[in-house]
Amino acid sequence: MKRIEQLFTQFLPTDPEKPMDAGNRGKSYAHFKRTLFLIMLLIAMLPEAITAGIGYYQYRNLLLSEEHDQLLWRLDGAQKTIDAFIEGLQSLVKFVAEEERYSALLEKENLQVLFDRLKEQYDGFVDLGIIDSSGVQRSYVGPYDLLGRDYSKREWFHKVQEQKVYISNVFLGFRQIPHFVIAVVENIPGTGDFWVLRATINADTLQKFVTTIQTQATNDMFLVSSARQLQTSSKYHGTVLSQYDKPIDKNGVTAYRENLENRENTVFYASSVLKNTPWTLILTEQDYVHKEEWASFKLRLILIFAGSSLVIILIISFLVTILTDRIRASDEKQLSLLAEAEHSNKLASIGRLAAGVAHEINNPLAIISQKSGLIDDLIGLSQPFEYRKKIRETLAGIQDSVIRCKNITHRLLGFARRMEVTLEDIDLNQVVNEVSTFLENESLHNRIQVQTILEDHLPPVRSDRGKIQQILLNITNNAIDEVGCDGIIRITTASGSASVQIAIKDNGPGMPPSVQEHIFEPFFTTKEQGKGTGLGLSITYGLIKKLGGTITVDSTVGEGTIFTINLPYTPPHTEENNHEQYAVTDC
Amino acid sequence: MQLLIVDDEVEFASTLVERLALRGIAASSANRGHDALAMVMAHRPDVVLLDLKMPDLSGLEVLAGIKAIDSTIEAIILTGHGSAAAGIEGMEHGAFDYMLKPVDLTVLLGKIEQAYRKRKAG
Repeated sequence: MKRIEQLFTQFLPTDPEKPMDAGNRGKSYAHFKRTLFLIMLLIAMLPEAITAGIGYYQYRNLLLSEEHDQLLWRLDGAQKTIDAFIEGLQSLVKFVAEEERYSALLEKENLQVLFDRLKEQYDGFVDLGIIDSSGVQRSYVGPYDLLGRDYSKREWFHKVQEQKVYISNVFLGFRQIPHFVIAVVENIPGTGDFWVLRATINADTLQKFVTTIQTQATNDMFLVSSARQLQTSSKYHGTVLSQYDKPIDKNGVTAYRENLENRENTVFYASSVLKNTPWTLILTEQDYVHKEEWASFKLRLILIFAGSSLVIILIISFLVTILTDRIRASDEKQLSLLAEAEHSNKLASIGRLAAGVAHEINNPLAIISQKSGLIDDLIGLSQPFEYRKKIRETLAGIQDSVIRCKNITHRLLGFARRMEVTLEDIDLNQVVNEVSTFLENESLHNRIQVQTILEDHLPPVRSDRGKIQQILLNITNNAIDEVGCDGIIRITTASGSASVQIAIKDNGPGMPPSVQEHIFEPFFTTKEQGKGTGLGLSITYGLIKKLGGTITVDSTVGEGTIFTINLPYTPPHTEENNHEQYAVTDC
Repeated sequence: MQLLIVDDEVEFASTLVERLALRGIAASSANRGHDALAMVMAHRPDVVLLDLKMPDLSGLEVLAGIKAIDSTIEAIILTGHGSAAAGIEGMEHGAFDYMLKPVDLTVLLGKIEQAYRKRKAG
């Protein structure tokens, strides 16, 4: 919990326990703004991204599942058609091999008639043979001399006895033409013996049939043996009897896909074992039907996501900017109030100290004045003597010095006294004179001329003398810092209809507009680090506002700066002014 | 004219008494508030020069005491204390005027003269 608090404090732009300079404060707000933006973006975008992601995968799965089902449906259709074809062939062979026809078919002529009839049905029949139970071919019609051939050792001969019907894989045989065999077993009535009818069919027949049922939507369709030898030609896997390089599921119907991420080469495979045959039907699809639908969905999803993200970013950016600006303004206001209070307290302390010192000095000063006065009185009453004149001159010198000291202490006391005064009628010309007297020494040392051009009979303003003094001191002090040696500062007063104007003009280096814009902001300073707090003009601005006045700055680089203050004849009537308490009440 | 100088600075008060005497003004001094009140009670001076800060009684308390004894006695507050508020308060309590140390004797004499005239007129 504490850790979270620490993290939170780090993230906030201002920490009341840590003072910060203006540069770091600026960085801190930028950091706050950036972090807040990222957090809000995360909060807003995360659900959107999750929703979009779920939508993406759900829809993809839906399409894939639909494609899978469609492929299986097609496979099922194709399988049924091929099953029917094979069954047709089997039935035909079984039909001609009726039990009682064994003896008749041993005659080659009869077998020839039967073979001709079969060829009428299916052109692919190559030969026809009758084999007895010992495996010897007893009768044969076809292009080869196979009569008397012994098949008893052949695998198919045993399989046909077990299965009653046997269909072989496609093989080349003597003619080097791919073909397959259908054989059926029949009993010889009354003997318990059996005979076998064996028909050889060109693989072309199978190929033609498969090609016929292959629809436009289907990319490739072919048969493979259990030993993965192609039984019909494939568009992508080679011609008949080529080796098929993919795995086959021998247990039933299955479908799978390859290279799903790379849509260009996506291939869907579906396979099904054909019953009563050694074959498996394989169906493949490239770039399946939903490709365009999927692409359009993705495009729409991206557009919606990008659009809403843009709106979110704009809104968040707007909110974060407003929030940061508000916090910043509030912080600055708080800081400037604190700084102003601190500054006032500091002045009050200085005032108290000055008053104390002045008071302590005034008493011995009064004694010096009276004692030297008494000496002078006594010398005045005495007879003339040698050094009388010299001593009286010296005493006059002492009196002069006393007067100088008195002026200093009275000025100090006046400064302190004014801290406690609230509203009174003030002659601004007098305040200007006081301030310029106050700065006399400093300006003299820097060979700066402080000129005053004061309007005669300036109407008094009802205001706070101490604050006006502070305002003028701040601005004039700044001007002294700016103009440097041999500079000229001119303070003018003029009366207007509702206010009195005081203008303080210097012939210093001036300020560019970028500096003028920020000059009244707290902590803004152009002085070297450590020389200025950046608070003087901000406090001045606050004081003038408080007195109901205005201050403007006009500056030209290379020519100088004019601060123009307007103070109303009477301050605006506000609660603040009515109840304001001043920090200094006693000196 | 009888003048009383009330100030805890003995050197100041005594020197001033001497200088006034040279000018033919009968002045006496008191360095404590209570002494001052006793002297006012005994001699009823015309004008009192009054310091504001003293160890036993404040100038304002002494002023109140003087005015209680004889409200026609005029007091001029003469102090090194710089607060205008204290001066104004003194005036409110019946002081004739308010002056800051160190003060030029001629100016002070003028002020004393005014106060004396007021006392005589009142």
